[in-house]
Amino acid sequence: MDNTLPASAGPPASALTQGVGRVLLSEAEIRERITVLAQEISRDYAGRNPLLVGVLKGVIFFMSDLLHAITVPATVDFMAISRYDGGRNKGAVRLIKDLDDAVEGRHLIFVEDIIDTGLTLNYLLRILRARGPASLEVCTLFNKPDHRLIDIPLKYCGFDLPDRFVVGYGLDYKEGYRHLPYLAELRPETLQITPR
Amino acid sequence: MAAEQPAPFSHPVEAEFARILDFYGIPWQYEPRTFVLESDAQGTVLEAFTPDFYLPDQYLYVELTTMQPNQIRHKNRKLRRLRELHPEVSIKLFKRGDIRSLMLKFGVEDYPDMMTNRL
Repeated sequence: MDNTLPASAGPPASALTQGVGRVLLSEAEIRERITVLAQEISRDYAGRNPLLVGVLKGVIFFMSDLLHAITVPATVDFMAISRYDGGRNKGAVRLIKDLDDAVEGRHLIFVEDIIDTGLTLNYLLRILRARGPASLEVCTLFNKPDHRLIDIPLKYCGFDLPDRFVVGYGLDYKEGYRHLPYLAELRPETLQITPR
Repeated sequence: MAAEQPAPFSHPVEAEFARILDFYGIPWQYEPRTFVLESDAQGTVLEAFTPDFYLPDQYLYVELTTMQPNQIRHKNRKLRRLRELHPEVSIKLFKRGDIRSLMLKFGVEDYPDMMTNRL
């Protein structure tokens, strides 16, 4: 059977990586670090059946690889929140997808792809703490401490990143580039914005 | 044309920053305190510094500047002096590149218009 995708299945690889600049972290480096994080979590949560909670969408790649590498029983759930829309509409952040089950008495690990200002994470941790989990820790793959506005303790952290706009491994620019298996800078010309 | 900003802000970037904080429910105060950096023997203030924002829940001051990197020597010096005189004060400077990253992250598409005014 021919498993070759037809030409219409998607744009060529060159189009998928258009605008991508220097690779900061290779796929192998990311996977190696995730394995270490998973070992630490497996050691710390043996017999505690942790619930890994992620916020859509960027975290899906990290969550998937982390779960594969964790060696103790664990479950997973996701939340989604509204995004700041550049001030076009007034309003506040709100949950648009809640967890499927109650978390009272559970050991929660909040899993993030990247923590930058800490504003999103702070909002979600406030919600989760109010639900009475037995414990609540944070695991992030990427950390950008330079822009931190809310000081949040990170129990598990993959990489500290420099102050550059990066994409790949779940991180997007205008919803693109999430699929890249590595972390890369965008070329400056890619970050041109169309004024509204 | 540069984006307009509502009072009390002196720059559209400040207004956008306040909207982002409001969106995430973070309390903030605008320019609540002026720090005296230098005064003469008579107590006349010779130099002072007023950070743009204070986040009371984080005990954090935030200063925003859209000036080009080669133009912020004066501001860096003021921040150094502030930290010398008030080591207990926590302050974070968001430079032009930081603000650009922040606006990109939060989908503020007209941020280039905001950067044309000096802050």
